[in-house]
Amino acid sequence: MRERFWKYAKGDRIIWAVIFVLSIFSILAVYSSTGTLAYQRMGGNTTYYLIRHSVILFVGILIIFITHLIPYRYYSRLSQVFLYLVIPLLIVTLLAGTSFNQASRWLTLPGLGFTIQTSDFAKLALIMYIARALSLKQQVIKSYKEAFVPIMVPVILVCMLILPANLSTALILFGTSIILMFIGRISIKHLFAFAGIGVLVVSLFIGGAFLIDREGRISTWKNRIEDYISGESKENYQVKQSKIAIATGGLFGKKPGKSIQRNFLPNPYSDFIFAIIIEEYGLIFGGLPILFAYLFLLYRAGVIVKKSTQTFPAFLAIGLVITIVFQAMVNMAVAVNLFPVTGQTLPLISMGGSSLFFTSIAFGIILSVSRGIEKNQMDAEPVTT
Amino acid sequence: MSLKQDIVWRVGIVYLVIFFLALSIVGKILYLSFVKGQELSQKARSLTLKDITIDSNRGDIYSSGNRLLASSIPYYQIRMDLKSTAMQQKVFSEKVDSLAYCLSGLFKDKTPSEYKKELITARRNGERYHLIKRRVDYNQLQELKRFPIFRMGKYRGGFIYEQVNRRILPHHNLASRTIGYLTRGNSGNVVGIEGAYDHELKGAKGIRLMQKLSGNIWMPVKDGNEVEPKDGNDVVTTIDVNIQDVAESALLKQLMKHDAHHGTVVLMEVQTGDIKAIVNLEKDKNGIYRELYNYAIGESTEPGSTFKLASLIVALEDGVIHLDDTIDIGNGEIKYYDKIVRDTQKEGYGKITVKQAFEVSSNVGISKIINENYKGREHHFIDRLYSMNLNEKVGVEIKGEGTPEIKYPGDKLWSGISLPMISHGYEIRLTPLQILTFYNAVANNGKMVKPRFVREIRYHGKVLRSFDIKVLNPSICSGETIEKVKQLMEGVVENGTARNLKNSSVSIAGKTGTVQIANEKYGYKLESKISYQASFVGYFPADNPKYSCIVVVNSPSNSVYYGNLVAGPVFKEIADKVYATSLSLQDGFGDLKQRIVDPPYSKNGNYQDMMVVLKTIGIDIDGEEIISDWIITTKRDSFIELKNLLVRDEFVPNVVEMSMKDALYLLENAGLKVVAKGRGKVKSQSIPPGALINRGTTIILEMSFI
Repeated sequence: MRERFWKYAKGDRIIWAVIFVLSIFSILAVYSSTGTLAYQRMGGNTTYYLIRHSVILFVGILIIFITHLIPYRYYSRLSQVFLYLVIPLLIVTLLAGTSFNQASRWLTLPGLGFTIQTSDFAKLALIMYIARALSLKQQVIKSYKEAFVPIMVPVILVCMLILPANLSTALILFGTSIILMFIGRISIKHLFAFAGIGVLVVSLFIGGAFLIDREGRISTWKNRIEDYISGESKENYQVKQSKIAIATGGLFGKKPGKSIQRNFLPNPYSDFIFAIIIEEYGLIFGGLPILFAYLFLLYRAGVIVKKSTQTFPAFLAIGLVITIVFQAMVNMAVAVNLFPVTGQTLPLISMGGSSLFFTSIAFGIILSVSRGIEKNQMDAEPVTT
Repeated sequence: MSLKQDIVWRVGIVYLVIFFLALSIVGKILYLSFVKGQELSQKARSLTLKDITIDSNRGDIYSSGNRLLASSIPYYQIRMDLKSTAMQQKVFSEKVDSLAYCLSGLFKDKTPSEYKKELITARRNGERYHLIKRRVDYNQLQELKRFPIFRMGKYRGGFIYEQVNRRILPHHNLASRTIGYLTRGNSGNVVGIEGAYDHELKGAKGIRLMQKLSGNIWMPVKDGNEVEPKDGNDVVTTIDVNIQDVAESALLKQLMKHDAHHGTVVLMEVQTGDIKAIVNLEKDKNGIYRELYNYAIGESTEPGSTFKLASLIVALEDGVIHLDDTIDIGNGEIKYYDKIVRDTQKEGYGKITVKQAFEVSSNVGISKIINENYKGREHHFIDRLYSMNLNEKVGVEIKGEGTPEIKYPGDKLWSGISLPMISHGYEIRLTPLQILTFYNAVANNGKMVKPRFVREIRYHGKVLRSFDIKVLNPSICSGETIEKVKQLMEGVVENGTARNLKNSSVSIAGKTGTVQIANEKYGYKLESKISYQASFVGYFPADNPKYSCIVVVNSPSNSVYYGNLVAGPVFKEIADKVYATSLSLQDGFGDLKQRIVDPPYSKNGNYQDMMVVLKTIGIDIDGEEIISDWIITTKRDSFIELKNLLVRDEFVPNVVEMSMKDALYLLENAGLKVVAKGRGKVKSQSIPPGALINRGTTIILEMSFI
């Protein structure tokens, strides 16, 4: 079985291991935390969400498997196509998307009856595009006009299109882009200057939102930010419940399936799944393994960078890994109340279709790079020896 | 530095940054678990566990004849959670019309479109506890449960109902002030028996520990309750619904006739002090007489002439006068300092006896007797009054008894005219119940008993405690004096101010009283007319007192205000009716019993039950020695003959000639299914007696009256 798996699954085995560890936690935590949802929506059929989530995870792994088989060089060209595709999609979503929680984030794909969160797609497309652009411009990378501006324009465009519906995703994507550009050797001077401008724009946007004070999304963030600052309110309820989950979980947890807070935390299976994992498995059996899994992933991306002989695969792998790991860190930081509530999912662990599939594509691409590099080395080795 | 190295160190920096982020997450987890752990766990417990109290069932209040005077019935408050996460918008939009239509049809208070608008607005506002209707009964609740949307239940239909117990008085206004009420909340407004016996009635609340699941769903932690609720005890009062009804209608009639402001009647059983009836009626804003205030217990006023009894008891007890001593009342006026005391009959009586002075209620006569004999030793007179408990509350449990006021020589308000004024019932204050208690003591041969409102406390039909007769004063004066004053009171009806009560079917003894009202609330004037309080207090039958009664009618505005004319007729009507319905009061009942020579026909049935009935109505029995629980009866010339009816296990009993109740009991206990046809007693049974019982088979009974 194992032999057979590795026969087909190529690339970094540690990354594969990370995927499996996260998937196992995902199934356990989602099953435990969907009880209330099952009672509310499925008349108490608790296995419904277990099966549904397992199927989604299985499809996700299938997606990883398929995407990792595609040679990474195809992704270079694909990134351009994706970006051109994603910008109109974002506009359409913003104008006519399905409103969840008053945010136009979702787009129902015509004919498929399937909704996707366009920003998930945009994240993938933008990072891929930046990786490509960075590698193409390495000769003139310190130039403002030739490298900085051409890369920055799509970043700003995409982030601005995500921003009205999903502030936190826009910020995280912007941050990830800056980090990736930093790794890609863009002038630090330019980046700092621009980061400053970015902060200014966002501040103005939020400031404007506060002034306008309309019903809807704006007041949601307004509340969230105010809550984080003032430390008391309605939204703070989830933070309080999350803190209780973590505090009562302690080092060793209450044992699987014994969570109490899952009944009080809104979205215990997505935004606050980390709190439920800590509550049931504790820091030792739940928190640390997950943190290590993401840190390992980042470490292995570093290894890929080191091994890589070309810049595009290196940027592609590190960019996607940072996207995943950074989002994971933000999610966990929110759960432990280091950051204000954002609504970011925990990649590969939170329940969900669309975001999990895009995460899977990202993992697939990372593994494709890893596979390609291993192959190159193997091809190269006989020559050197 | 090569390009690769340049990239690798940058990756290293990013790695470090993220590693520190991870470290701080771990740090925060440790901080939350170890530093904040206890505080948060406590908070968790307070958020997820709670004790809910389970209300106990409040006890009932019964009349002396075991009729319900006050009881609790449940009603329901209907609310709706319009923001229930499980309520689908599609379902709501589709069904809101029919729900609104159903609600409008059931309650008929709003149109369907009003209901629809209300529901849609409430949903838009996200109301989770929207009030649909405050008070619905059980049947309406069952109907509501079947309404569209509601029938999807608490979660998906947002249907919430809460049981609330409401206190009802099956007899409405009847003695309602004395039965009383409890106001909800903390106002502490307790009235009547409900208030006085709240500690008995309320029972004990139960406690159940609940754990929160989600939303607003709570689940009991254990199967049972932590503390089981205990039902309240029942309070059995002394009030007799029939007498109460008689008293109320008699008083009401008179109040309406004289357009009085308010009136009160209290009827007491002489030997026990049992309050058989207590009526308080007051004209409300709309001119309707209702029980608004417990005047009998709460209102202290100057009693006037009814107090003359106490004055004469003192004088007779001290031997300073005799009934046939004469007093000169002159022209019916006497002056004490600047105060002129007048008799109601302006021409005066000249020389009359003490007995006559009492009978005609001569203010001059009585005040002269007391003033002449006690001037200079006023304290002796007042001490005597005090020794008859007249300065003490009778101590009823019901809240708000008025304090009696009889001042003492040397008090700030004591003056030269106090003695003569007190002697005929002024400058003192007593409540109607206090006066009645005093008169009752006279009727009870000097033994003063405390008015008793509650006879026993029961729990689920079992008597927990009964309240004994409480003697306030074993003997207020000598038996001789009692005999004398009884003559006086009989004389009032026979020859005096209450001659209009003479032709009653039962002999009455008592005293009239008419007093100008000196009530703080109304002053000496009400609607620019002098207002009066007419009263009559006494007992009946005069020769063997069974009941004492006081009637007070306040501020009759018509010119007829004398006690005998306003209060007397109420007393008479009550006495007549009570007499007519109380067999024990009537002479000749004993003879009547002897005359029953023809025993009634009786069905066969339960031995114990039969014996209770036969003994009560005094039917002689004869026949064999009864060893079984069931008997066969046969009517004989002067007695009923009893025979054993043997019921053996496994054999069909003989139920012919039995009532349905007994037959059903026997046959169903034996495991048979009973089908009865017709009405009356059992004429025949489809399975003959003595057959072996085959459990579950049907036995058909033919019933008939013949």
